[in-house]
Amino acid sequence: MSKLELPKITWCKKCVYPSPSAIPMHFDEDGVCSGCKVGTEKDEIDWDERLEWMLELVEPYRRSTGPECVIGVSGGKDSYWQTHFVIEKLGLRPLLITYNGNNYLDVGWRNLMRMREVFNCDHHIFQPSVDVLIRLNRQAFRRMGDMNWHAHAGIATIPMKFAVEQNIPLVIWGEHGFKELGGMHSHNDLVEWTKRHRLDQLQRGYDWRDMLDDDEDPIQEKELSWLEYPDDEAIKRVGLRGIYLDMYSRWNVKDQVALIKEKYGWEEATEPFERTYRTISNLDDRYENGAHDYLKWIKFGYGRATDHVTKDIRAGLMTREEGIELVRKYDHVKSSDIYYWLNYVDRSEEWFDTIADTFRSPKVWAQDTDGSWHKMNIWDEQ
Amino acid sequence: MLKRRVIVVLYLLDGFMTRSEVFRIHQLLGHPIHHVERLVEWDVDELIVIDISTDTPKFDTDRDDYRYKGPKDLLGFIHQISSNCRIPLTFGGRIRTMEDIQLRIQNGADKVTLNAVLDESPDLVREAAEKFGSQAIVASIDFTRDGDTAEVVTHHATKRQGVTPVEWAKRAEKLGAGEIFLNAVDRDGKASGFDVDVIQSVVDAVSIPVIACGGAGHPRHFLACLEQTNVAAVAAGNTFHFTENAYPNLKTFLKSKRDDIR
Repeated sequence: MSKLELPKITWCKKCVYPSPSAIPMHFDEDGVCSGCKVGTEKDEIDWDERLEWMLELVEPYRRSTGPECVIGVSGGKDSYWQTHFVIEKLGLRPLLITYNGNNYLDVGWRNLMRMREVFNCDHHIFQPSVDVLIRLNRQAFRRMGDMNWHAHAGIATIPMKFAVEQNIPLVIWGEHGFKELGGMHSHNDLVEWTKRHRLDQLQRGYDWRDMLDDDEDPIQEKELSWLEYPDDEAIKRVGLRGIYLDMYSRWNVKDQVALIKEKYGWEEATEPFERTYRTISNLDDRYENGAHDYLKWIKFGYGRATDHVTKDIRAGLMTREEGIELVRKYDHVKSSDIYYWLNYVDRSEEWFDTIADTFRSPKVWAQDTDGSWHKMNIWDEQ
Repeated sequence: MLKRRVIVVLYLLDGFMTRSEVFRIHQLLGHPIHHVERLVEWDVDELIVIDISTDTPKFDTDRDDYRYKGPKDLLGFIHQISSNCRIPLTFGGRIRTMEDIQLRIQNGADKVTLNAVLDESPDLVREAAEKFGSQAIVASIDFTRDGDTAEVVTHHATKRQGVTPVEWAKRAEKLGAGEIFLNAVDRDGKASGFDVDVIQSVVDAVSIPVIACGGAGHPRHFLACLEQTNVAAVAAGNTFHFTENAYPNLKTFLKSKRDDIR
């Protein structure tokens, strides 16, 4: 029997990120990824100066009454840190906004509910109709292999929309995720929120209107107005701008989590996740470390464990060898929340697996004559 | 009065829109299609697309979970964006032959930029200018600076030419180029401002329009270049990717300061 030829995958020489990947990433001639390279900028930056820049930046947004900025919060570790930073370091009065996509874990919901108790600010929660959400879950899973598209879109839309409606020009985001993981930008870019990034990266090109022409899981225009992003005229009228905190303040997850636990009683997950070793991430959405992430494995051959290991190697918390063992342990696991989701959307596992397989990237996977799928693995690399 | 233009440059690497720094560091910013959509909404004066891929050309953006089918190659991309785009389009990068030029123009490019050709086959510049008209041929001139000396480099800034941008620009004009696209390699992606000295020296030396690029990071940099030189156009890549409505905001700023902005 001839040996199955596997597509070529390369991994960053410093972290464990693969190419091809789910996020735009570039490798230099030494085989080091742009994410690792951008990470090293942090040691060169004068962060005290950055804080001064940020204080200067927010100065025109101070008001004598009412909220001075909007923070989109999930109740996660970053939400707590952002809110703490904005109140304590910037001296601003934030208004907290949450998109509730109906996927909260109990511990994540407790953290969210605690925010208005431990921080002196108001908190709005937007919760779409569960019936619409179920149709969006199913439709997006069938069309893009991602039941959580509604969550990406909701999180990227609701805070900006609300800021426009409330006439609050400043929105403060936390980490620029694509910069942090993939090295999309330099910290010197002082990159801000854009409509283009929202549509292209966070929503993978799909906007709410694209969800209206589906026969199997029909959704009416009138049901989705909450996902309509403000137009340029409104953005200009309000002077809307979204800035990323991690361009101005060095992001240190370990210290930040210690602080929010101690000061505000933030809780991490009590139960371990099936697809990653971290218990501090993605508590707002049961599928982010589970079914949604399993689909990343199906599509691109890696998952959240690779993401978390990459971050922890760069932060000096583990070696590459230790990381590879964790990738080997977790990335392929088919998590049990898939059955919870299938019950939620009233579909079968066979339906799930058949659709999922149509999204396997030919740049990663090869199928053997017996129907099984194979790919190159980081622990086999030379 | 001829109005001065503000031009957007889009670098493509394997089909991805790319942040470039000193021609060496590249970071992928995403799929260019939504950027072009925004440029159309902003009604930009002109778009220059430069394919900076050095390996075998490939368009690697395609994925099954993305809204748009990625084009398979550069011509597919040109076709995709030119079909619903009224913006004057210039394409550059990887152009070596008359056929390369012809294919780009046939698929929707209004102009092409020639860089390595100026070194490898200068006669092609003349022939292309005769065939398509000088207005379609832009000489792309990259330079590095060492103290007071500026030197032309070609082939992604890997090959030194041992001549000044002024000499190279005069030669390009003589060969029939209709415009000069002048880019400062050392300032690329540095957001430290335009190299106004070199820019003005080239503007003084030729009678064709000069587009200045390299170093823009703040609206004041564009203004300084327009005030201190006689360039026909200012251009930038990275800075238009970083903030919301960066282009219209820049235009509003420049128009509030000068009355010669298109």
